[in-house]
Amino acid sequence: MSHAFAVDRAFATVAFKRRLAYKTQWMVALVLGGGAMLVSMAMWRYLLADGALSGYDWDSMRAYIIIGFITATVVFGAADWNIADRILDGHIAVDLTKPVDFQRARAAEYIGSMASTVPTVVVGVIGAWLLFDPPGPASPTAGVLTAASFVLVFPLAFGITYMTVLVCFWTKRYLGVMWLREALLSFFSGMMIPLAFMPSWLQAIAWALPFPHFTTTPAAIYLGHVDTAGALGLLAAEAAWAVGLWLGARLVFRRAVRKVTVHGG
Amino acid sequence: MPILEARSLTKTFRRPDKASGFKGAVKHLAQRKYKNYTAVDGIDLSIDAGESVAYVGPNGAGKSTTVKLLTGILKPTEGTVRVMGRDPHTERIANAHDIGVLFGQRTQLWWDLPVEESLKLLKHMYGVSDADYKARIAKFDELLDLGEFMPALARTLSLGQRMRADLACALIHAPKMVYLDEPTIGLDISVKDRLRAFLREMVNDGTTLLLTSHDLADIEEVCERIIVIDKGAVAYDGPITELKAHYITTKAVNLYLEDAVDVPALAEKFPEFTWAAGEAPSEVTVTYESARFSTAEVLGSLTAQLAPRDLSLSEPSIEDVIRRLYAGELTR
Repeated sequence: MSHAFAVDRAFATVAFKRRLAYKTQWMVALVLGGGAMLVSMAMWRYLLADGALSGYDWDSMRAYIIIGFITATVVFGAADWNIADRILDGHIAVDLTKPVDFQRARAAEYIGSMASTVPTVVVGVIGAWLLFDPPGPASPTAGVLTAASFVLVFPLAFGITYMTVLVCFWTKRYLGVMWLREALLSFFSGMMIPLAFMPSWLQAIAWALPFPHFTTTPAAIYLGHVDTAGALGLLAAEAAWAVGLWLGARLVFRRAVRKVTVHGG
Repeated sequence: MPILEARSLTKTFRRPDKASGFKGAVKHLAQRKYKNYTAVDGIDLSIDAGESVAYVGPNGAGKSTTVKLLTGILKPTEGTVRVMGRDPHTERIANAHDIGVLFGQRTQLWWDLPVEESLKLLKHMYGVSDADYKARIAKFDELLDLGEFMPALARTLSLGQRMRADLACALIHAPKMVYLDEPTIGLDISVKDRLRAFLREMVNDGTTLLLTSHDLADIEEVCERIIVIDKGAVAYDGPITELKAHYITTKAVNLYLEDAVDVPALAEKFPEFTWAAGEAPSEVTVTYESARFSTAEVLGSLTAQLAPRDLSLSEPSIEDVIRRLYAGELTR
């Protein structure tokens, strides 16, 4: 393993351990993380009792909700505050004295913290599978491509989060930025309601943004709403957003780092 | 050959110019005004390999900003810095491999993990071999008693332990150039002594050190050269011994006599000395020029003629000199 990957792994491991350091919080998330999913299931079961709505019947909605649970748990459970805090309280000064690429180190940390939510995902998915018996993927290929879409959620989530965290260099506050990002992500990803329920102009806006890849893309591939070519196209778009945000963040950081003003020791 | 060179180093920050109170806050919302504030003003520095340099100045003088410019954290507004031939800001990562930095007020430990985890992550970051890591940890343990709190969570450490652990973090890769910004802040005297002994050993081993501290004992015990900075500019740069020899030209003896002291009468009797009343009526301080009189000579004369019941010598200190430098009374 090259030195750079060993450093990435070390950062990711430390971030993972930091999440586990707060055992009670982690255990509560593990046991109760699926609670919101149960509420969603109950609501949609009621709404779909009379048949399909906008192409979703109870069968496909069960799978959709589980997919939404997976991405929401991984994305909202990551440690974005750690990066924001370091910028806001001046600890970035310490980070900048280390022989590592700031963005890459934060990405490794972020992915390590996302990985700490995987046990919650596993417990939640197993529980949901036993309770609700959702349909399997439309085809083995769809299953594999759905898994690929989940994997791409990690760099994509980092790209969006990191970009918004860098805004702290200008805003000097993070809370509002985080609320805005989470609201946009919840809404335009389809986590709250599937995009198919939205008017076409709103769907067009959603697809012009990276957010649908957090739930709508893996769900569409899994449920067979798109064929293999369509699935590959969605994955290419998801990957392109991840790469674009990565490169864009580099440009933003280059400007942002000039704004470092750490006073007083 | 200098290991560090800075020429006309300047850093200007933009600060909001806001009137106080609610009205000021509202006005600033509508009409934003800013003022430029020069924290570092055209500083020239040259430090040779192996030197131990104290960088001192009053609060807000620009010490920490200079350290941040030298370590590549901040980009200078004007001027240049070269550390081992590199620009520390544009070549930040390469430069970071060869430097060690400690900010006394900011820990580099991962707060919620054992100290050992932070050190292991740094080992990976710097690519320290297993053998070197073990040897250095053993040395830190010997000099700083690191072993006793290696398994402890960083947030449970005392300030002294935290500072020792941070020092180990700053030095785990055996850097050639070390910047320590207030490394003894808030520490008790025994921990300070251990840290100073450790730093002396590090300097003796050939590491170049730039130390900022408000504790003059740190400076006197660890450094050979002192740079005094005030209002963003260098007020003095030279060997500490020279600073003392140059500016500490007088010594003092405190005399405790049997009866109340008549200071004007003594001043008349011994016009070659300067006399000042002490705290009690029977106390007096005699100041004499160290170049003209030896201490033995002064003591002999005073004890013979005044028969004090006790006396004490005021040790020469650079503290007063630096205080006077800060106040602008002295220039080089």
